[in-house]
Amino acid sequence: MSRAALVGLAMLVSLGGSVIAADEARAIVAEAQRRTDATSQSYEGLLQVFDGKGKVSDKRWTLQRQGAHGQSKMVLRFSLPAEVKGVALLVVNHPDRASDQWMWTPAVERDRRIALQDRSTRFFGTDFSFEDLEERDVDQYDYVLQGDDAVDGAMCWKIQSVPKQSKSSQYSRSLVWIRKDNYVVARIDSFSKGEPVRRLTYTNITNVQGIWTARTLDMTDLRRGSRTRLTLDKLQYGAPMKDEDFTLQAIRRP
Amino acid sequence: MMLLRLMSWPYIRTHVLRTLLTVAGIVLGVAVFVGMHTANQSVLLAFNQTVDRIAGKTQLQVSAGETGFNEEVLETVQASPSVGIAVPAIEAVVDSGIVGQGNLLVLGTDMTGDRGLRDYDLEAGDEAVIDDPLVFLAQPDSLIVTREFADRNHIVVDSQIKLGTVLGDRTFTVRGIMAASGLASAFGGNIAIMDIYAAQRMFGRGRTFDRIDVAVREGVEVATAQAELRTQLGPGFQVDPPSGRGRQFEAMTAAYSMMVNISSLFALFIGMFIIYNSFSIAVTQRRSEIGILRALGATRAQIRWLFLGESAVTGLVGSLAGVLFGLLIARGIAASIGDLMSGVYGVAQRAEEVSTSPWLLGASLVIGVLTSVVAALIPARQAARVDPVHALQKGRHQVLTERESRLRASVAGLLALLAVACIAAGGSRITFYLGYVITIVVALLLGPILSLALARALRPLLRLVRPVEGALAADSLIQSPRRTSASVAAVMLSLALVVAFAGMARASYNSIIDWMETALNPDLFVMPSQDVVIRTLRFPEDMGAEIATVPGVRRVQMVRDARIVFRQTPVMVVATDVLSLSETAQRPPVQGRVDTMYRETAVGRGLMVSDNLAQLQRLSLGETLEIDAPHGTIRLPIVGIVIDYSDQQGTILMERALFKKYWHDDSVNAFRVYLDPSAQVPEVRQQILQRYAGKRQVFVLTNAELKAYILKVTDQWFGLTSVQIAVAVLVAILGIVNTLTVSITDRRRELGVLQAVGARHRQIRGTIWMEALSIGALGLLLGGALGAVNLYFILQIVQHDIAGMRLSYQFPFTTLLALVPTILGAAFIAALWPAESAVRGSLVEALEYE
Repeated sequence: MSRAALVGLAMLVSLGGSVIAADEARAIVAEAQRRTDATSQSYEGLLQVFDGKGKVSDKRWTLQRQGAHGQSKMVLRFSLPAEVKGVALLVVNHPDRASDQWMWTPAVERDRRIALQDRSTRFFGTDFSFEDLEERDVDQYDYVLQGDDAVDGAMCWKIQSVPKQSKSSQYSRSLVWIRKDNYVVARIDSFSKGEPVRRLTYTNITNVQGIWTARTLDMTDLRRGSRTRLTLDKLQYGAPMKDEDFTLQAIRRP
Repeated sequence: MMLLRLMSWPYIRTHVLRTLLTVAGIVLGVAVFVGMHTANQSVLLAFNQTVDRIAGKTQLQVSAGETGFNEEVLETVQASPSVGIAVPAIEAVVDSGIVGQGNLLVLGTDMTGDRGLRDYDLEAGDEAVIDDPLVFLAQPDSLIVTREFADRNHIVVDSQIKLGTVLGDRTFTVRGIMAASGLASAFGGNIAIMDIYAAQRMFGRGRTFDRIDVAVREGVEVATAQAELRTQLGPGFQVDPPSGRGRQFEAMTAAYSMMVNISSLFALFIGMFIIYNSFSIAVTQRRSEIGILRALGATRAQIRWLFLGESAVTGLVGSLAGVLFGLLIARGIAASIGDLMSGVYGVAQRAEEVSTSPWLLGASLVIGVLTSVVAALIPARQAARVDPVHALQKGRHQVLTERESRLRASVAGLLALLAVACIAAGGSRITFYLGYVITIVVALLLGPILSLALARALRPLLRLVRPVEGALAADSLIQSPRRTSASVAAVMLSLALVVAFAGMARASYNSIIDWMETALNPDLFVMPSQDVVIRTLRFPEDMGAEIATVPGVRRVQMVRDARIVFRQTPVMVVATDVLSLSETAQRPPVQGRVDTMYRETAVGRGLMVSDNLAQLQRLSLGETLEIDAPHGTIRLPIVGIVIDYSDQQGTILMERALFKKYWHDDSVNAFRVYLDPSAQVPEVRQQILQRYAGKRQVFVLTNAELKAYILKVTDQWFGLTSVQIAVAVLVAILGIVNTLTVSITDRRRELGVLQAVGARHRQIRGTIWMEALSIGALGLLLGGALGAVNLYFILQIVQHDIAGMRLSYQFPFTTLLALVPTILGAAFIAALWPAESAVRGSLVEALEYE
């Protein structure tokens, strides 16, 4: 076999390997997504922001989500501290593009649209950005399986996800670790212009109504060195919810 | 250089006072030029800095004049593919409520996206709170202030400050303090940040934004984004870089700049005469030296260059001192202009520091030196022509020959005809200004002839008063017409300026009062701010109906006024109930039919414009105006032109419904309230105040109070004119002092001879005093005459190029009368020292003089 033929064969194998890796990666993400499908989700969240000096500030909210992933709508309402009580956020996710988001501030009785361009800004002083609140949908990204890796002793698939053009994301790519034992996402590292900017880790994973769910999410802003922990309490799936509770009019109600 | 050192330096050393007075002419001229321009430049720079600092990384600003626009426009802008960040903004100027701190510029913005444009550089307080937009947004009382403002007022995070809003005084909590840089240094540190939706409520903006600040998407050209946004938004919106606001500010202050330029030019022109006079006399005094130099072989060119060099050095020294003095006075003038801009134009800015450009300073030096050299041209030529043989023939050179008189009169006559032709030709402004300049030249050419004639006419009178002293004084003036005319010319020019400015001020004042009496006749004016020109606070429309129900109220007219951009110039739109207005405050038209123009405007079939707008924009009755608004272009004919001084750049009067339709804005700036004849003004006023106590910030001004306010602002404007008048008077006095000092010194020998032949000290003093008073009187007469002509030109300039005001010609006799004792008094005081010097000096030295 000539040298050229050898190179050609190597390229074919390599290309074929990539396609297989992409398909497999997508299949893993799709399965992870399928396993978390629920008609609704609700919980009470405790947001704890740890600044660089170790100071902690707490906020509490309740979240209700109707549908899942790219077909979902979500209302998040702050309950503590007193000065932010009643502030609500409505997120309407789309399978093929970025979400629509509105915020309601009761003291001024005004809702405001969070512009697409503002999604990269910090979500109310936490280490999450507005974009991080969106429900990821499998079809919004291209995937490449990068091999296996362990997170907190659990074996995971390490998958690179690159947002499709329609997604309009602040991140150029992400690395997602999905546990092999229960298909739960264990960690996401997000990159901007080649640099890692945020790390989200999922711990305290329990089975709630048949869905393996991380109850503690830690988001670290790798540039600021600050961290925000979201702890999920009173987590519930499948509770009946009404469409009219996920509208602008609804979030204006106290 | 050698000649300068050997000839000029010793002369200067022995005539220090005279040199100082000569230099003072240039110092004053250059100082006025530098001071006025630097102050103007500083105010403009302060405004631009405020705009830049507030703009942050903003590359384009979307606005619709002052009117603002609906919130929906934001989504259109944000959806534009070339837009990276688009953040809405509202600006309001509010009373800080803190004694001595003046106004606070409140910038309302959306913190969720705004930090991509502006660096707030928060430095103090609990970071978790101030860096958390949620708390900031959730609490409408949130405010971020600057370190400078906080330090000045002992404010810390969580301090509470009270601000006047349309909802009445409201307490705000300081949730953050910005470090003293960038944004925080705008408006002299008197800036505060508030959430935009809270600002909408606090400042009565409904659901509108003032503007949208835009940063273009990475890789997109600003010009591309600008063109794209303009296409998407339509002609009713302005899409310009932040510097565009500076240009609008410049357009608004163009009237003031024009006046500054006229004053500066006159100051330099007068300085030129002072120098001319000084050098003429210096040439006289140094004739013997010149004769010796010529006898020793110095060429005419060398002599000419000696004097021109001397004048250049004088000009340079005077210019340098003038620049320094100008910079010194600029701060005071800048503060005054700053107040004026806030008072007259309602534009918020503060000139904290004086800033000037090397170009201005360089230009001032060049102008100062050139003025000095030009002024010395004739004396230098005279010096170069000195014949060594006649060098000691004193006085002959000062004589105005019959031939020269005829020549001057002929040239002046021809030029006068040319000036009349230029003015009569009309049309071009260039020919008008040419006519103006030629007229001044004619006056200067006729100056010596008229001085001579007047001095001759004055002789019998002077003799009648004091036979000996009067005759000697008159003869001195008659025998030296050049010297006399130079002194008189300096005074004449100064007084011409004084008369013109005073006449213009008087005419404007009377015109404004006349307008106020008929246009501003409601009993009460209900406003959201004490400051009438602040339009950033507004009322909702429904307040009109509420006020109408107050017992005693007969009629309420709603007024919405806002500056829009019309033909690239900011002009005022006044939208009101036109029919109601015609019933209460009908103005006689300058053009148009009074019986139809209000009716046509009221039904939205026409527009009325102010005469000043018509003048400045060359508009005529029947012409169709095209006004681009956020919701379409208004195309309506001008149905009436009336006198209206609501805005210096002009006003467009339209029916309120039309404004609401094209701007989607039903807010109100002021309610004009008419009362029942039986109602008591104080009682109704109190009832209105009580009705809104604690709910809204309402100021109820009585008719007299509003008029007093407008007169105060008018006074503020004319305050600068008063400064210019004062400078002109000062120049006149300086001219008299200078010319008298050198003139008396020039005549030391003559006075010495008089003493030698038995003249008493009293007689010498009397002669000098009478000569001084005569120069003052001649200056007053000719200044008054030239002032009468100058006033015509200034009124024309005001009408066509500055304010569009059609002012009636009223000669300011009272001002001239007030100037009589001022100028004569100054002349007398100026003569005291030279007179004493003449009688107390050594007789031998005096006889040896020259």
